Amino acid sequence: MRGAIASITAALALAAGPALAAEKAPGDIPPCPSSEETPDVAALIRRTEKLLEGSSSIGTFSMTIKTKDWTRSLKLKAWAKGRDYTLIRVLEGGPRETGMMTLKREKQLWNYLPQAGRVMKLPSGMLGDSWMGSDFTNDDLVRGSSLVEDYEAKVLGVEKAGEREVWRIGLTPKPDSPVVWGKVEMLVDRQSCLPVKQVFFDEEGKEARRLEYGDFRQVGWRQFPARMTFIPSDENRQTSILYDQIEFDLDISDDTFGLHRLRQGR
Amino acid sequence: MLLQMAWRNLMRNRRRTLLTLSAMSLGVCAIVFGHSFNEATWSKVIRQVTESQVGHLQVHGAGWQAEPELGNVVADPAQVEARVASALPGARLAQRVLGYGLAGTEKQSAAVVVMGLQPEREPSGEGPLSVVRGRALSSERSGEVVLGRSLADQLELEPGGELVMLGQAVDGSMANDRYTVAGVADAGSDELDATAVFLNLADAQAFFGLGGVHQLLVRLPTEDQDVSAHLEALRGALDLAELEGLSWDQMLPELKSVVDQKRGGIKGLAAVVFLIVALGVLNAMTMSTFERTREFGVMASLGTRRGTIRRLVVTEALLLGVVGLAVGVALAAAGIGAVGSIDMSGLTSSGDMVGVRIPSVFELRLYPSSVGQAALTVLLTVLAGGLWPAWRASRLKPVEATRSV
Repeated sequence: MRGAIASITAALALAAGPALAAEKAPGDIPPCPSSEETPDVAALIRRTEKLLEGSSSIGTFSMTIKTKDWTRSLKLKAWAKGRDYTLIRVLEGGPRETGMMTLKREKQLWNYLPQAGRVMKLPSGMLGDSWMGSDFTNDDLVRGSSLVEDYEAKVLGVEKAGEREVWRIGLTPKPDSPVVWGKVEMLVDRQSCLPVKQVFFDEEGKEARRLEYGDFRQVGWRQFPARMTFIPSDENRQTSILYDQIEFDLDISDDTFGLHRLRQGR
Repeated sequence: MLLQMAWRNLMRNRRRTLLTLSAMSLGVCAIVFGHSFNEATWSKVIRQVTESQVGHLQVHGAGWQAEPELGNVVADPAQVEARVASALPGARLAQRVLGYGLAGTEKQSAAVVVMGLQPEREPSGEGPLSVVRGRALSSERSGEVVLGRSLADQLELEPGGELVMLGQAVDGSMANDRYTVAGVADAGSDELDATAVFLNLADAQAFFGLGGVHQLLVRLPTEDQDVSAHLEALRGALDLAELEGLSWDQMLPELKSVVDQKRGGIKGLAAVVFLIVALGVLNAMTMSTFERTREFGVMASLGTRRGTIRRLVVTEALLLGVVGLAVGVALAAAGIGAVGSIDMSGLTSSGDMVGVRIPSVFELRLYPSSVGQAALTVLLTVLAGGLWPAWRASRLKPVEATRSV
C-alpha cells in the first residue's frame, strides 16, 4: 500500500516536472492516477478536462485549414469563462472576416459579421456544424458538451501510443445529452493525464474524425497541448490550431461576453 | 359486300350489339379520359420544371451535377453561350449560381440555398420571380434578395427588412454581407419556399467570390418532353472535358421515374378495361355465331370458303370496335370539353412530389396519344373477342351444321 502511494507521488512529480516546485495544482483537481490500470475514470476525465480548460482562459492561437483546393490561416483570440461563456475573435484573416466574432452564452450562439456589420444568431442545432469553414465544430470551439457531464466513461485498457503508455477510454453519450457523436474514444497519457488523441464515431459506429494533441507546453502548474489537429476520416483535409499564448484561471468580467459588445463589433 | 353483311348481322340482334357497344364505348371513354387527365397533369408539371426550375437542358462544369462543389464553375459563360446559341437556335439561355449558407437576423437564422440568377432572362412571374409580396429582383446588382415565402415566415422578414447572410466563399474564407428584402416569392416547390434566398447573379458571385457560374440553363422552343436530340446537339457544342450537358430528366431522375410510373398506371387501367370488354365481345360473338350455326352450314354448303366466313365474323367484331371507339372518343371529348379545367385544390392538399409542386389546376385536352392508346386497346379487344368465334364458325361441318336448329 505504502509502495503504491510512493509510486503515485513519484509519477506526479515526473509528470508535472520542475514546475511542481513553483506552482501546485489547486486542491480540487484530482491527482493523476498514473500507476493504476483501471483508475477511477470519472476523476481522471475531470482532471483531463480541468487541465484543458481551467475555470477560465484567454488565449491567442492560429488556425490553419488545409483542403485539396486551398490552405488558409487565421489568427484568433479566445476568451472563455466556465462552460457557459466563450468569445472568439478573428484578429487576422481574409478582408471580409477580420473582426468576425463568435459568442456563446449558455446554449445560444451568435456571430458578428464584419462585412455585414451585423450580428446573426445561429440556429440551435448548429453545434455539430463546421465553425468558420474549419474541421472544428461550433461545439469544439465553444465547448458545448462536457466529457464529464455528457458522457458515460469506461477504461477499455492500457496500451502504447508511440513512446507513451496510455489508457484507452471509451465515452458513450448519456441519454438526452447535447452530443452529436455516437461514441468517442480517447487515449490519455498515463504520466500526465493529458489526452494524446480522441477518435469520434458517428451514430452508425463509423469513425468520423480524429483529434490529435501535441506540442505539450508548461503553462503555470499545468501542461497544455498547444497544438490540436482535427482530421476528418473520409475527406482530404484537416484543421490544426496552435496556441501562441494562453493563460488560465483569470478573472474575466461578464461584460466581455455581452451581446451589446458583440453588436458594436468590439 | 362483307362490310354490309357484317353490319346487317350486327343489327339482327340490336339489343345485344347495343349492350356490347356501350360497354366498349364506356371503356374507351374511361381510357381516353384517364390518359388525358394524366397527360394534362404531367405535361404541366414538366412544363413547370423546364420553364421555371431547371430548364430543358443545363451546362455545368464537368461533374458538378454529381458533386456540386462551389469552385466547379463554367468559367467563361459568355463564350459557352455563343456556342450553345449556334447549336440550338431559338433557345433561351440564363446563368445561375448556386450555393449554401446561413441567413437570418439577430433573432434567428436558418440554413439556406443561395441562388443567384439573371431576372431579365428568367420567365417573368414564375419561380423566383413569382413574387407574392413586395417586388421582384432587379436585373442590376442591387444588394437585394427575394425569399421563399416559408423562409420569410420563419425568419419573420417582410419586404423592406434586412437579411444577414453567412457562407463560405470559394477561397475558403467566410463570406458575409447584408441585404434588403425586396420581395417574398412562391418559389415553385415547398422545399425552395422553405430554404431559398434569390439574388442577382452579380450579387451572388460577389458573395461567394466566384468568377463563373454553376448552371447555364437552356430553355428550348419546344413542347416536346423528349429532348434527347437537343441534348446531343448541345453536347456536340461543348468541350466535354471541361463541361457537362444534361437534360431535365437526367437532372431530376426521380421525377422522370414518377411520370413513367404514372403513365404505366394508365396502361394498367387499359388492361383492366380490355379484359372486361374483351370478355363481353367474346360472349356476344360466340352467342351470335352459335345462333347462326345453321346459317353458316348453309353458306358453306353453297360453296362459301372458310376464309370468307372467318373474315365475315372478324369484320363484325372490328365493326363493333370501330363504332365503339368512335362513340367512346366522342363521349370523352364531350366530357373533356365540358369539364375544361380541373381544380384539384379542394380535393388534395397541394404538395410536392420529388421536389416539384404538383399543380392543383390544370386544363384537360384530348391528346392524340390518348386516342392512340384507346384505339390500340380496342383493336386488341376485338381481336381477342372475335378471333376464336370466327375460327369456330369457319370450322363447322356443313352437313352437321345445316341440321342444327
